[in-house]
Amino acid sequence: MSIRIGIDVGGTYTDAVLIRSGQVRQTGKVLTKPDQLLDTVLEALDSLNIASEISPKHEVESITVSTTLVTNAILQKQLPEVELILLPGSGMKLTSLSWPVPYHVLSGELDYRGRQIAALDKQELQDLTETIINKHLENKQKNEKTLAVVSGKFSHRNYILEQQLAAYLQKKISELSMALGSEWGQSNFYRRSLTAYLNLAAQDLFTDFRDGLIKAVRARGLQAPVKILKANGGMQPAENIRPVESIYSGPAASLLGTLAQSNPEHTYIVVDIGGTTTDIGLVLSGKPLLSSRGAHIGDFLTNVHSLAVQSIAVGGDSVVLPTEGEQAAVEGKENKNFSLASYRLGPAYCLGGSKPTTTDALRYLGLVDFGDYARAEEAMSLLLPEGKRETPYFREIAQNILDLMVEKIAEAIGILVKQWRDEPAYKVWQVLNPRADYKFPIKLSGGGAYGLAAALAQRMNATVTLTDHAMVVNAVGAAMAKPTFSWTLNLDTSLKRYRIEETGEQGEWRGSLRPHREVEQFLKTLASKQAKDMGLDEYRLEMEPFDYFPLIEGYRTVGQIVRGRVHLPPGAFQLQDYGPSS
Amino acid sequence: MKKTGIVFFPAFDWSLGETHPEREERLLYTQEQIFEEGVMDLPQIKQYSPAVANMQDVLRTQAVFPSPKHHELDAHLIAVGCSLVLGKALMAQEITNGFVLVRPPGHHSATVVWGNRGFCTLNNEAILANYLRTYYGVKKIAIIDTDVHHGDGTQDIFYYDPNVLCISIHQDGRTLYPGTGFCEEKGGPNSWGTIVNIPLSPGTGDEGFLYALEKWALPAVEEFKPDIIINSAGQDNHFTDPLASMNVTARGYGKITEMIRPDLAVLEGGYSIQGALPYVNLAILLALAGEDYSRVKEPQKISRRVLHGEPVRSYIDNLHKYFQQIKPNWRYVQGQSKHLPAGKWVSVEKEIFYDTEMFREQRQDLIRECQHCGGTVFINTRNQATMEKAMLVKIPFEACPACEQAGYDLVEHYKKSAQTLLLQNQLHNQVLFWEKSKEVNLFASEN
Ligand SMILES: [Zn+2]
Ligand SMILES: [Zn+2]
Repeated sequence: MSIRIGIDVGGTYTDAVLIRSGQVRQTGKVLTKPDQLLDTVLEALDSLNIASEISPKHEVESITVSTTLVTNAILQKQLPEVELILLPGSGMKLTSLSWPVPYHVLSGELDYRGRQIAALDKQELQDLTETIINKHLENKQKNEKTLAVVSGKFSHRNYILEQQLAAYLQKKISELSMALGSEWGQSNFYRRSLTAYLNLAAQDLFTDFRDGLIKAVRARGLQAPVKILKANGGMQPAENIRPVESIYSGPAASLLGTLAQSNPEHTYIVVDIGGTTTDIGLVLSGKPLLSSRGAHIGDFLTNVHSLAVQSIAVGGDSVVLPTEGEQAAVEGKENKNFSLASYRLGPAYCLGGSKPTTTDALRYLGLVDFGDYARAEEAMSLLLPEGKRETPYFREIAQNILDLMVEKIAEAIGILVKQWRDEPAYKVWQVLNPRADYKFPIKLSGGGAYGLAAALAQRMNATVTLTDHAMVVNAVGAAMAKPTFSWTLNLDTSLKRYRIEETGEQGEWRGSLRPHREVEQFLKTLASKQAKDMGLDEYRLEMEPFDYFPLIEGYRTVGQIVRGRVHLPPGAFQLQDYGPSS
Repeated sequence: MKKTGIVFFPAFDWSLGETHPEREERLLYTQEQIFEEGVMDLPQIKQYSPAVANMQDVLRTQAVFPSPKHHELDAHLIAVGCSLVLGKALMAQEITNGFVLVRPPGHHSATVVWGNRGFCTLNNEAILANYLRTYYGVKKIAIIDTDVHHGDGTQDIFYYDPNVLCISIHQDGRTLYPGTGFCEEKGGPNSWGTIVNIPLSPGTGDEGFLYALEKWALPAVEEFKPDIIINSAGQDNHFTDPLASMNVTARGYGKITEMIRPDLAVLEGGYSIQGALPYVNLAILLALAGEDYSRVKEPQKISRRVLHGEPVRSYIDNLHKYFQQIKPNWRYVQGQSKHLPAGKWVSVEKEIFYDTEMFREQRQDLIRECQHCGGTVFINTRNQATMEKAMLVKIPFEACPACEQAGYDLVEHYKKSAQTLLLQNQLHNQVLFWEKSKEVNLFASEN
């Protein structure tokens, strides 16, 4: 049996765990330095005494990192500018959706099957080239690269126009770094363009981090593959992950951490209470629920697959504000005496902090056993007007704070479950087999989370259990994450063209006009080979039912459109005592 | 913010036959187009998931004979269910308007259902309208049918109902299925004028269609003052449609939607799967959402001859004048029939053709003339293929006491007969069914 190491970069702390033979052997915790994430990760890694665990029988099998590097860079608008070149064709007006970045528009149009309706325009190409050359000269003086994304409507059905345009530009400006929207080949045009944009913009930042990380790991004598956790809860070798897929891995990590310590058949809700946010996710028969739409980050809507996690601004360190003053910064003002801020100002008052927090309320009520009781009481009194600073009022306000936290969590659980039940369905059998009402048990994690257990159980009328290793559950999740990938096929046998949406691969179909088993085998073979090349374990490939659409012209069948998907679903290896181990 | 609701249900696993126009592929490209454009990411668009309607909601409006279990209804019940989903959302004020973008269609499905007609088995809009009247107390509803085919099923269901205005603008029935929808069809003895048919000449395009809408249909709606407007948004007026001969464009459909301003639009026909549907559906959806649809453009050009200018306008004006002076001519049941309750009863006989399975239905409708309400309706129907017979008694919404009692008297008398009998008591939201003089509970599995 071997050793898996997981590191999770959080907003306040970065956690590390070392798991050997499915047992958590070591944990570490360091403060996160937001401007030096690589140093932070290495510090966390060094907080583990890895050498003491290694033996001929136990070698390090993987080091998986969940990092906020790209998330932060996007949210703090630190990414370089990218020339975004769009081929929107006709249809909805481009400005009906708000574009968070400037763009160039060119003509050239495809239809919904990827058939060309209008070609690129020579004159426009020349004008665009001139504009970009000027920009490139400017960038060169500043010692910056010039980046460009070419993205066309329906390029997920045919990349021909994007490739023509890119080839033209590359010939004129050889130093241009380019990416195509079709590499993110799923609908829609808007999200695909913005995803390609973010990914190219984050490439250098991410590459530096990754190379530095691998080098530092090797310098420590570790030869294990370094992996990065993705928003969908899967990990992938750092060498071939696309940077933007690493956003929002934190919430995914907490879900996986719980998954690793639960029966792989069970269905439940995960509630992970952090310093300032609580993440809520859903696990169905051991499979975490994926969001039906791509991730939303800052002003960007993307195609990045993520777990369906509800994140709410409530945590153990959330500052509690008396109602008067500071209203602007407050999220919600649902209670008469106080409100919960969405930020953290250091630790809880009872732990030596300067402001009353939710943890102080839990401490005052005796629901958690850490922190100073007298200071918790003082914190409650700070929230009350003079004349009301007495015991019955302390109890009342502490209870109200607890109730508000629980209410917010309950509300978010409700939204998540409704989202799952109300997912769109496009086939008769799906509608005839609706998702039943179900009373989900709740698994609670996070420091101090146990203080909420009883109240949450009562509010939800559900069983609430505490997850083990609650303080480092995210790092456990990173360590135990399984690899994920998916291959979505769109085949049009009449046009003799197939595409794999996730990779942008496109090719000529040489099979029959009306394939059945043939196309399933085709996709399986293709996916198995690519999974192997990417260092993913192919044996877990799962195939979803294919959709076949006969294409009729007149009353004659002229071909078929086939949609199919095989994937490595997200999941976690089990810790010992929680089910079959890896 | 104003929200536009959408239920998109393409029934990707259902068809009326592999090469049938109503097949899996029908909304495939519409899905591609609407999703790829990013319409679902518009902040004012709210997507709802489909649902299944229950039999009570169906039978309140349509008499499914010999009994519902004789029909394959799954896909149809979902199309109806989707309509109800947006109806509820509208009533809950979650949305300001909505598009039920579903198949199969429903507007050829009539009061009595012995089978599938014109690809329709259940009437989505009619069931929706009566649902809103039953559960939300909506009084007056206008249904404007912009499918190229006459909305004969919807017209039939509300023919005797003074509180539902049915307007159908379509290609002249002398040149197209179902061969009805003439100006003379204007409603029953208690509802004369609430049926409006505007048959247009083949070749009419955006100009003529919008003219008929502006000068004829919309003034009729204004006069009627409906609480809710439903648009049967068929798309086979498009110039590429293989089954019809009109010349409306995708942008024309956008304009139609903008002018009608429906509370709910429900997809009906439209069989130019590649040439029209992706673009027409997009234009309608954008128009509902208040977005610019002027850039929506189908790649094909019009190749048919388009009627336009003075000739098409004066044709419509003349037809409108003719329509206004048409007077009814009722045939009353003579003497006092021994089984008909007191009152004056009008008799209407009709024959209805079921094109999908190629058989005819023979019907006699008896309507109680009434100054106070829509009047109780008693229908005798016979499937000419199987010779099965059945009866329907309909006590209307807001029935007066005399009409209500007339309905009960009819049921009391005929429930003992060997024939199948359905009571649609719309007044009290009650549906009862008798088979071989025994009452049958059709809703046992429903709550
Ligand atoms: Zn039609
Ligand atoms: Zn009456």
